[in-house]
This record gives sequence, structure tokens and C-alpha cells, in this order.
Amino acid sequence: MLSVAPEALARLLWFAFYPIVMAPVAGEEYGRVFCRSLVALPFVVLIGIFNPFYQTEAVFTIGGVTVTRGWITFISIIVRTLLSVQSLLILVDSVGFTGLCRSLQRIGVPSVLTTQLMMVYRYMTVLLQESLDMTRARQARGYRGSNMSLNMWGTYCGQLFLRTVARSERIHRAMLARGFDGSIPVLKEDRIWKGKDTVAVILSIGVLALFKWGPLPTFFVFNF
Amino acid sequence: MSHHFIEFDDVFFSYPGGQEALQGVSFRITHGEKVALLGLNGSGKSTILLHTNGLLLPTRGTVNVGGIPVTRRTAPDVRRSVGMVFQNPDDQLFMPTVEEDVAFGPLNMGLDSAEVRRRVTDALHRVGAENLAKRAPFQLSGGQKKAVALATVLSMEPDIMVMDEPTAELDLRARRRVADIISRFSHSCLIATHDMDLAHELCPRAILVSDGRIVADGPVAEVIHIFTDLMKEK
Ligand SMILES: Nc1ncnc2c1ncn2[C@@H]1O[C@H](COP(=O)(O)OP(=O)(O)O)[C@@H](O)[C@H]1O
Ligand SMILES: [Mg+2]
Repeated sequence: MLSVAPEALARLLWFAFYPIVMAPVAGEEYGRVFCRSLVALPFVVLIGIFNPFYQTEAVFTIGGVTVTRGWITFISIIVRTLLSVQSLLILVDSVGFTGLCRSLQRIGVPSVLTTQLMMVYRYMTVLLQESLDMTRARQARGYRGSNMSLNMWGTYCGQLFLRTVARSERIHRAMLARGFDGSIPVLKEDRIWKGKDTVAVILSIGVLALFKWGPLPTFFVFNF
Repeated sequence: MSHHFIEFDDVFFSYPGGQEALQGVSFRITHGEKVALLGLNGSGKSTILLHTNGLLLPTRGTVNVGGIPVTRRTAPDVRRSVGMVFQNPDDQLFMPTVEEDVAFGPLNMGLDSAEVRRRVTDALHRVGAENLAKRAPFQLSGGQKKAVALATVLSMEPDIMVMDEPTAELDLRARRRVADIISRFSHSCLIATHDMDLAHELCPRAILVSDGRIVADGPVAEVIHIFTDLMKEK
């Protein structure tokens, strides 16, 4: 979706309208979506941080400060990531994670993959609880340190792995006991297509087409 | 299968690790009977239950359900008549919503969606969890999870219900509710538990297991007596 050249920062900014417009359609505040998307920031900063050092040719100067190509691509990476994450958040919030998996399945993604995604989502909390239990058990036995030795990490991860394997075996048994044969059957939902859905589809297509190919307003166009 | 029964005949079983978990287990449960399976932790209760629907197969001896010997080939059919409720509802409830989880079994049986819906509503009604239909299983309390886990098996309308420690880890009120639900079952029931009050309340008959062997089988009061003595010894 955001397949524009790294330098075309101006064109990229157009895409910001998408989450801003879609958030209210999906019944959310853009501000909240924006804040939540910031969790991705450290990762992208890590990815893009070296660009300013490698791409050092100057592009333009503002008030005596030279802006290099590296800085532009750096910012462009951040912007496009945040926008992608925001769009994804709006999508997941509006259809639900499971709804997303179901839709993926319907458009032809193999059920092995979607089933796995659903399972990961379901058991993430259980695994988290289990690792918390283990941490608490360790503390209860008088462990006070805040940093574990490499050795302890090894034991910890090994334990977690064994528990996970044991649990997956139990879950598999429980599924077999209820006639599981490899694919998860779906109870057909009577989905109702609402007027809001039509608005969302037309808006999305129109807006995206405009951003990708439409004319850029002059105030966005720098000379590069 | 007009006559529902489970019969173990001299069943031996070893886990891959080499642990001899069952050493010559024999008993028979007939139509409509409610039987408690008593025993200390590690005595082999869960291992026995897993043999009733072919999730584990004996290394020696036979298990027979309603006249069909349980083998790898017959196991899928046997699982339609033996419904199993596992100890930890987190292992049993894996679908995104309660409703979908209760529908999982009936859908696997190839029923049409009208029938599946009827069964889901009916099963949730029987455990008093109609209001939880749209909820996510992981958001429920321990007692609610257990009730829903019972519903996921009830919806398959099995002839025999097999339950592993149905009241473990429940508080008093949740335990009371689960006991009430089970007491209304008209199915044949095999209930593994070390909750002696539950056994006494629900089951006229009890079987006591110790170290993979059956050491007592008879009226629940007598077996509980022997169990109490056994616990003092150990
Ligand atoms: N997956 C397994 N692998 C190896 N040994 C097991 C496994 N599950 C249970 N056992 C062993 O088999 C014996 C019986 O266990 P189990 O049937 O779970 O007892 P209970 O349900 O009465 O507590 C125990 O000694 C236990 O350690
Ligand atoms: Mg057990």
C-alpha cells in the first residue's frame, strides 16, 4: 500500500488521511490509535537510524541547516511504519483478531496458517500467565536479583518450553476428544452488510487511489 | 448402540518414558451408572479416563465401549458416544468465543448449522451459561469456564460422560454449581476426583485406584472408608 519511493515524503503524508478518516468510521478516536501505534517506534528507529550516516548528500537547506537524503529516508521509514501500524490497529479493532483470521482464510490463506494464528492469539495469555507463575515461584524461594544469570535464563526457557509442549499435548487431546480432524470448522455467521460498510469501502478505494496517483497539492511539493 | 457400557479387561499401559501407569485394570460400568474414580495424585485416574475414548490405547488388555473394542480405527466413532471433560478448562476451551467452542464438537460431527445452533443453545442452557455465549473463554472465571467446558461436551450429546477432577481448583460456590449441573445429567458418568464429598453426593458406586491397580470397587461409602485408611498409610 505504501509503495512509494523513499524520497517521496510529501506523497507519503497524503496517506495519513487514511487512518485519520477511517478511525471515526470504525468508531474510534484517531488520537488513541496514534498513541498505540507509537509502540512500534523503537523498532523502526533502530532500523532507520543508520540512514543519515550513509546517505549524506544534501537535498536542501532550511535556515542554514542542511537536510541530507539520509534524514529524509529515515523520517519516511518512521512515517510509513506508523501509518501502516495505525491502519492495522483500526482493522483489528473493527473486525477483531479472529474476524481477521477468518477473512484471511476466506480469501485463500491456508487454514494451517490461520488456525495457528488463532491458537497463538488464544494461548498467548496462558503462556504469559505461566511465565509469570514461574517468576513468582522463583521470587517466593528467595530470589531477589533483578537480572538473571545466563545459566538461569537457560533453565527458565527450558522449563517454559517443556510446559508449553505438555500443554499443547493436552490441548490436542481435548480437540481430538471432540472429533478434531485437522481443520477448525466454522459456524456460519449471518453477517449483515451495513450502510457504514459501503461507505468504508468506497472511501478506502477512492482515497487510496487518489493518494497513489492523484495530483499532489502544491504546498506539499518541495524541490526534490 | 442401545446398551451403553464401558468395560476394561486387564488393561496395562506404560507411558513412553517407561512409567508403568496401569497394571491390570478391570471394571465394567453399565448403562446409567454414576461411578466415582478415587485415588491419590499419580495413582492413574487420568490415565484410565484417557483409555475410555482411545486417546491412549492399552499396551496389553482391551477396552470395550458399547460392544466396540477401542482401537486406533474405532476411536473416532467411540469419541461420539464417550464425552470427555478435561481437568483444566484452559486446555479444553480454545475457540475465540464460548458459542463457537460449544459448536466445535457438533460441527466436527458434520451436523447442519440449524441442528448445531439448537445444540449450542440447549447445552449452554443446561449449564446455566446462556448469557456467556458471546464472551471469550479466557475472560471467564474458573467456575464459568468449567460450566462452559461441560457444555462443549454436552452439545455432542454423548451417551457416557467422563470427567477429570471436575471440581479441582474451584471455590465453594463454583463447586456447588458444578456439582448441581452434574447431578442433573442422565448420562452414565465416570468421574475422577479426590473430592470425597462430591463422590458421595453424586455417585452410588466408587472405584479406588492405587499405583495403577484397582484396590476397591463397590458402594461409595465403603470405598471412601478404604480410601481414608489408604491415605493415612501413605
Ligand atoms: N505424559 C506422561 N508421561 C509420562 N508419565 C506420565 C504422563 N502422565 C502421567 N504419567 C505418570 O503416570 C502415572 C499416573 O498418572 P495420572 O494418570 O495422571 O494420575 P492421576 O490422574 O491419578 O493423578 C503417574 O505416575 C504419572 O507420573
Ligand atoms: Mg489426573
